Amino acid sequence: MREMDPSSGEPSAISRRSFLKGATQVAAAGGIIQATAAGAPAEVVDPEVETLSGTSSLELLVNGKARSVEVQPRTTLLHALRTHMDPPLTGTKEVCGTGSCGACTVLIDGQPAYSCLSLAVTCAGRPVTTVEGFGSADAMSDVQQAFCDKDGMMCGFCTPGFVVATHAALDRSPKASLDELKYELSGNFCRCGTYPHVFDAAAAVQEDRARGEEGR
Amino acid sequence: MSSSSRGAQASEPSWGKRSDLDVLNRDIPRVDGPVKATGEAIYTHDVRLPGMLWARVLVHPVPRAEIESIDLEVASEMPGVVYVEALKEPGDAVRYLGDDAVLAVVAAETPDQAADALRAIKVKARRLAPVVTPAQALEDGAPVVSRRRDADSNVGRANERGDEAVADAALAGAVAVVERTFEIPIQHHVCLETHGHVVQPAPDDEQVTVYASTQSVGGTPRGLARTLGRDASKIRVLTPHMGGGFGSKFGPGLEGAMAARVADQTGRPVHLMLTRSDEFAIAGNRSGSRQTLKVGARSDGRLVGLKLDADKHGGVSGGSLPGPPYIYTVADDSAVASRIRSVFTATDGSRAMRAPGHPQASFAMEAAVDELAYLLGIDLVEMRIRNLDSEVHHRQLRRVAEEIGWGEHPHRDRPGRAENGRAVGIGFGVSVWGPGGRSSRCDVTIRPDGSVVSATATQDLGTGARTYVAAIVAEELGLAVNMIEARIGDSDLPPSVTSGGSVTTGSSAPAIKDAAHKAREGLEALLVDVLEAPVGSYVWRNGQVSVRGDSTRSLPWIAVCALLREPLLAQGEFRDFLHEGRIHGAQAAKVEVDTLTGRVKVLKMVACQDQGLPLNRLALRSQINGGMVQALSYGMLEQRVFDEQDGFLLSDNLDLYKIAGAQEMPEMVALIDDEDERPSVCGMAEAPVIPGHSAIAGAIHNACGARLTRMPFTADNVLETLYGKI
Ligand code: FES
Ligand code: FES
Repeated sequence: MREMDPSSGEPSAISRRSFLKGATQVAAAGGIIQATAAGAPAEVVDPEVETLSGTSSLELLVNGKARSVEVQPRTTLLHALRTHMDPPLTGTKEVCGTGSCGACTVLIDGQPAYSCLSLAVTCAGRPVTTVEGFGSADAMSDVQQAFCDKDGMMCGFCTPGFVVATHAALDRSPKASLDELKYELSGNFCRCGTYPHVFDAAAAVQEDRARGEEGR
Repeated sequence: MSSSSRGAQASEPSWGKRSDLDVLNRDIPRVDGPVKATGEAIYTHDVRLPGMLWARVLVHPVPRAEIESIDLEVASEMPGVVYVEALKEPGDAVRYLGDDAVLAVVAAETPDQAADALRAIKVKARRLAPVVTPAQALEDGAPVVSRRRDADSNVGRANERGDEAVADAALAGAVAVVERTFEIPIQHHVCLETHGHVVQPAPDDEQVTVYASTQSVGGTPRGLARTLGRDASKIRVLTPHMGGGFGSKFGPGLEGAMAARVADQTGRPVHLMLTRSDEFAIAGNRSGSRQTLKVGARSDGRLVGLKLDADKHGGVSGGSLPGPPYIYTVADDSAVASRIRSVFTATDGSRAMRAPGHPQASFAMEAAVDELAYLLGIDLVEMRIRNLDSEVHHRQLRRVAEEIGWGEHPHRDRPGRAENGRAVGIGFGVSVWGPGGRSSRCDVTIRPDGSVVSATATQDLGTGARTYVAAIVAEELGLAVNMIEARIGDSDLPPSVTSGGSVTTGSSAPAIKDAAHKAREGLEALLVDVLEAPVGSYVWRNGQVSVRGDSTRSLPWIAVCALLREPLLAQGEFRDFLHEGRIHGAQAAKVEVDTLTGRVKVLKMVACQDQGLPLNRLALRSQINGGMVQALSYGMLEQRVFDEQDGFLLSDNLDLYKIAGAQEMPEMVALIDDEDERPSVCGMAEAPVIPGHSAIAGAIHNACGARLTRMPFTADNVLETLYGKI
């Protein structure tokens, strides 16, 4: 992501304008946005000086709770969670901001998604689950517990993304083979190199769940 | 508070017999696992303070330019913008793409406003020739980019060792000689948490609080003292959790200084984390190199002569590369000659990165060993054993060879051939490290209610340091790990070391042990009248203390602590005899090469690593795996790429700078070398990252005869090596 048009050294506004236009249309179609006093994004006259957005208030359904946020059309779900909500939910991490690393993985409508690539306005009213939604340090989910038992973490910065992705993977394919798991988790990077222990954790959950089913 | 460190000590601390250990040398789940797995752990990235400003820096997109103007007017009038400052004046030069390319800093009420303001800064600059590659730096008449004032070229002074004539004579007499030139690209640390700080200002008589993603909680106050115009003791640094460092986070850097300055100027807390693209441009890297290595051997495989001519590529820094022969020995030392110099480019200076210089040296040396073995028809493992001094390496090589199936492998002294375009090979590599230990302190406090705190100003980079801060005390006092509260990541705690060069465990673990031992003896002194046995004759186990040899005379932990009238403070310090200085490792890799497409798939990696007494086997296996994963990533995928024409850094995010993900993972086996029975502890993070990529390159060679001399081992690299340039 470059901050300026390299050839002129000037800020480039064109791509922003078109990006925002698209975002507004999405929002309008959903019918969720109420324009605030600041108004919906106006036609931009001078791209060099205008801020290309207004704010909108909307309701996000995060971990089963309705949370009001004031966002701009361009605000990503990731930023809505981490910096717009009060109190913020900082478990979801930002690492690349461009959909390459998976640190920001959440569930939207039960499906794993990169929250850095999802606009907050498109998530209004749809259930969002973040890592905090699966459990807390005193009451962890089975996946979170397995990550602790198998040491599926080192620095832990990628761990929230992996926990959410592992939950999603095991829900989608409870009997996933190791190769299938690798595929399911291939959207997440870990620089410390915890992968082998993450696989161990996932396998432990599979075993536990299978045992639970047999017992039923 | 009573301090037991005042009293005479009955005995010296010791790690004890391994068979007697209840907590250490076992799998200990990390104590901060639950907060990390649930997102509750607060990293610097996550700190939110009332009234906090969001700051960003503007990095010039190309390495060399002359600034004509930086216009802040529009930016400073934008909504929410509180602070804008240009760091360069008209006429100033941007000399390299690194901290010198930071043109401005802005701070605003929201992150978006800060980003908008950054985009609104108008910069006019005249671009100069980029000098981003060593070839450009070495061209006749190339602009001098070295930071040394008197520099008149981009080449540093060569470090020459040994007598070339002696080496040449030895090589002339060798039965087999190989000579190759190796090209090793620049690698990035890619800490998932970028560099950055949150600075909360304070009145002069109070402490400024700085949250820092750092490997040096203790050193950061000194690093910010000048910027903040106050004594280091008036700066408190907190690092409750940090998202990776790998050698790149030793000091506050320009970004820390800027955060401190904006906080100081505005009187408000400031959050300044680099963006990912900033991080790639200005937050350091592992230096690359170009090495021409010539090695000769006798018919029995023993190395007899070696010459190395190497350039280190560390941007505006010198880079690192240990002198040859790397780990292996040459029959007569005097037959080794080397010339190592730095070639400077106008790019970010290299920083320490997990075993600085070693993976680079390993790549060339292991290749030479492989090739000589093949020339002489000697088994690859046998060839290594003949040229390695340490028995530890010998046994570790045999162990990894067995684990990877070397005995059944069909071609052990010559490369194989592809069948139907598919070839399987195995390769090896070894490592060493001398982590050492230094002065460090720890306080253990036991309260009358039975609670225990173990505190030291170390930091947990993901190594599991926080866990052994508790576990060592738990072992000594016969308690469960979760009964000890570990306090780390705070510069106000008893000082410990900067985490670099694997020194943390060797430094802080002995201090923790010493404190725990003193605490135990402090309690035993109280028991003399109660259980009627002298200090030193008690057994602490399962939350009970009993007199050795008479389990009927015992007390539960809570009752012991109830004897305290005030908290017992035991102050521990680094004890030389509790730490170990030298470690070894061996690794093996098995690959499959598709000789039609050039694709390499790593099938399996095995590592065997010693480290004295393993404190936490689970965390240790994590680190050994982590070393293999990073080495695989380095070998197979990573390289920094510049646009040579204009000087843009092309690989500035994770879509274009690839690191290994789940699908690249082979089967991995992390073996702890339990034949190492040294009664002492030491860090080991560096060693396992050293030889993995060399073993993979060796495996590719063993599979199909292609000796890759360039990294990464991409398909085109394999095809070009097999069939020549197309
Ligand atoms: S931060 Fe969203 S994928 Fe990296
Ligand atoms: S645990 Fe550090 S990045 Fe995954």
